[in-house]
Amino acid sequence: MVTLSVNGVECRYGSMKVLSGIELEVRTGDFIGIIGPNGSGKTTLLRSISRVLKPHVGSILIDKADVYSLKPLEVAKKMAVVPQDSTVGFNFSVMDVVLMGRNPHLGRFQMETPKDVEVARKAMELTNTWYLADRSVHELSGGERQRVIFARALAQEPKILLLDEPMSHLDLINQLEIMDLVKGLCVKNGLSVLAVIHDLNMAARYCDMILMLKDGQVFALGKAEEVLTSENIRSVFAVDAIVRKNLVTNSLYVIPLSPKRNSCEKKGTVHMICGAGTGTLLMKALVDEGYNVTAGVLNLLDSDFEACELLKIAAVTEAPFSPISDKSHALNLEMLENASMVVVTAVPFGFGNLRNLEVAKEALKRGIPTYVIDDVPVEKRDFTNGEATRLILELKEMGAIFVKHPYDLPSLLNSSINTSTVPAEPTNLAGHLK
Amino acid sequence: MSNIEISYSKRSRRWQLTLTALIIALFVTVLASLNVGYAPISFSEILAALGKQIPFLNGSISSNSVSTVNQAIILDIRLPRILAGVIIGAALATAGVLYQGVFKNPMADPYVLGVSAGASLGAGIAIVFGSGLSVLGFPIVPTTAFAAALATVFVVYNISRIGSRVPEMTLLLSGIAITIFLSAVFQILQVLAPNAKLHALVFWLIGGITNVTWGDWWSIFPFIIVGIFLSYFFARDLNMIALGEDTAQHLGVNTERTKKILLTLGSMMTAAAVSISGLIGFVGLMIPHITRLVIGPDHRILLPASVIVGAIFLVSCDALARILTGAAELPVGVITALAGGPFFIFLLRRKKLSYRM
Repeated sequence: MVTLSVNGVECRYGSMKVLSGIELEVRTGDFIGIIGPNGSGKTTLLRSISRVLKPHVGSILIDKADVYSLKPLEVAKKMAVVPQDSTVGFNFSVMDVVLMGRNPHLGRFQMETPKDVEVARKAMELTNTWYLADRSVHELSGGERQRVIFARALAQEPKILLLDEPMSHLDLINQLEIMDLVKGLCVKNGLSVLAVIHDLNMAARYCDMILMLKDGQVFALGKAEEVLTSENIRSVFAVDAIVRKNLVTNSLYVIPLSPKRNSCEKKGTVHMICGAGTGTLLMKALVDEGYNVTAGVLNLLDSDFEACELLKIAAVTEAPFSPISDKSHALNLEMLENASMVVVTAVPFGFGNLRNLEVAKEALKRGIPTYVIDDVPVEKRDFTNGEATRLILELKEMGAIFVKHPYDLPSLLNSSINTSTVPAEPTNLAGHLK
Repeated sequence: MSNIEISYSKRSRRWQLTLTALIIALFVTVLASLNVGYAPISFSEILAALGKQIPFLNGSISSNSVSTVNQAIILDIRLPRILAGVIIGAALATAGVLYQGVFKNPMADPYVLGVSAGASLGAGIAIVFGSGLSVLGFPIVPTTAFAAALATVFVVYNISRIGSRVPEMTLLLSGIAITIFLSAVFQILQVLAPNAKLHALVFWLIGGITNVTWGDWWSIFPFIIVGIFLSYFFARDLNMIALGEDTAQHLGVNTERTKKILLTLGSMMTAAAVSISGLIGFVGLMIPHITRLVIGPDHRILLPASVIVGAIFLVSCDALARILTGAAELPVGVITALAGGPFFIFLLRRKKLSYRM
């Protein structure tokens, strides 16, 4: 049974088109999340569904009846809204505010009955606000007020609940409690929920379906796995993100990386010898700084390999859990041809990846500046009976630069570039002095 | 049942008691006020004069318990003036409740918004150019005052609105600007008015409710009583609007229509009051505020209670004006302005410190 359907909705503010071609069906018990960057039309969509902003084109139906042909009271009996802005003019008590949720069920001059007070009490107990009942709404904290507004919406006894960033003022425990409550109402009471959610992880965790908006249009609609992909997040939010599956909650989680900076100058190529996630942050930082980055040899499915995929970094790869083959080793050496610098991260060494250190040695032989990060002493990550430790010491003797912390590296590389360009000036100056 | 549930189940009973007490207080105020004036008239004479007007009761009152002169003073001079205080105080307080509720702003009031100035300009134009005429059977002065008040509230609302919000900064500033502008136009009117009309104009402007006749009273009473009753239809809607216009809509209120109706009713009542009394400031600001402090913000009780408190307040202020200066009577607007100015500043300061909208 279709509860709510949005058919080709287009909304405008003045001449500006804010939404266009929105199609959406919400069935009984659905929990649908709306995500999208600021200004993508999320709130406008909720306003148009909730009979506040009439769409220019298209229609919104509740149980096959057009929302805009129904009276506000009839819509209010079926649909409740928790708005973003929860400020209350005048000094009403919490109980007063929650009881206002009963308005659609009362006659014009009818006072609230004991039954209405009972419904309000239940809604307040569910949202953990009953203890606030006789307080003034102006005395509440932002989170308390938001839960009170939630209770008011529940007191309406709606079939459809629209939420506009329901968690913007809530702390972690309250976010989880409210979302668990809403999810429970969906499953047990068949409440249909349409929620604008900023937190992608919360959306992934609670929503059956996710609607992703971009520039007022549906960019993607489907299950979290289909919608929350790195590609979609990059296209819609302009942010690189890693998407993983959380083994505990069995839902996706999204780790946003800092927004992509477009550096115009290319500063040279850094070849990374890394693995096991030790290179991920550094590769991202170097890409942001404008370096061309390569990596090798990495095992497929290694988390540094996933970072390479995401950051579009060329990498030499090897099959999972396999030692570096001659072929991969040769390819890795080939990568040195273009490298202006080599970085060895504090990766654990076993016999499988020991040959990567040979590549670093070769780089030093060719005179390529080589940086070794040793924030974790090599002895602690040497699983080759001292072989790796010996090779690292050898690198040091050959002139590798040791860096105490990976964060220091980008600025160190930048300054080394600057000093290499500086020498031209003193000669000129000397020439002038003559 | 918890204490809160019990207290809510007894709420309508409590409201009835509050209103009953206020109505008794209004009667006492009116009676006491009848006793105030230049000519000393005893309470027994007052009661006798009033009693004679009540059918079935008049037979039991002897004809010489009140002199003819005193009876005329009570019935034709003091009573219309006091009852004008009652309905004008009620009208301004109701208009204040409506404006504050619709604008979700406790600083709104017909005087501050410039609606009173608009109404007085409309009334002034009617007095100068067309007194004695009527529009479709309605007396011309209240009718033009109403049209001008409505136009003013429309202009002020649209100047001060930012999106769907009406911040008090823009509301107060546009109210002030409009008031000053309309006052200037009013001064032009005074200069242009022929001498004969000028007298009537000035007399009305500063007159307050001193010289109200029964004819004046009946010309505005229907507007005010209808305004008060119609407003009460929307009492609970005003509660919802306090949660925000979108939220009110979500709770089943036809917000746009309700706002238009209530602003029209507020302007109608303001215009009716102003067309008799001239400008009387701050009643619409103070009364809803004080009433809200005592009985809470629920418009289902705030509205009727403010009606009565407004009436009590204006009748008392008028009595005070008579007591303070003896024969040289102060217009009642002077008293309300003396009380209202400091109150307004107090509110602004308190708002600056703690009031959260």
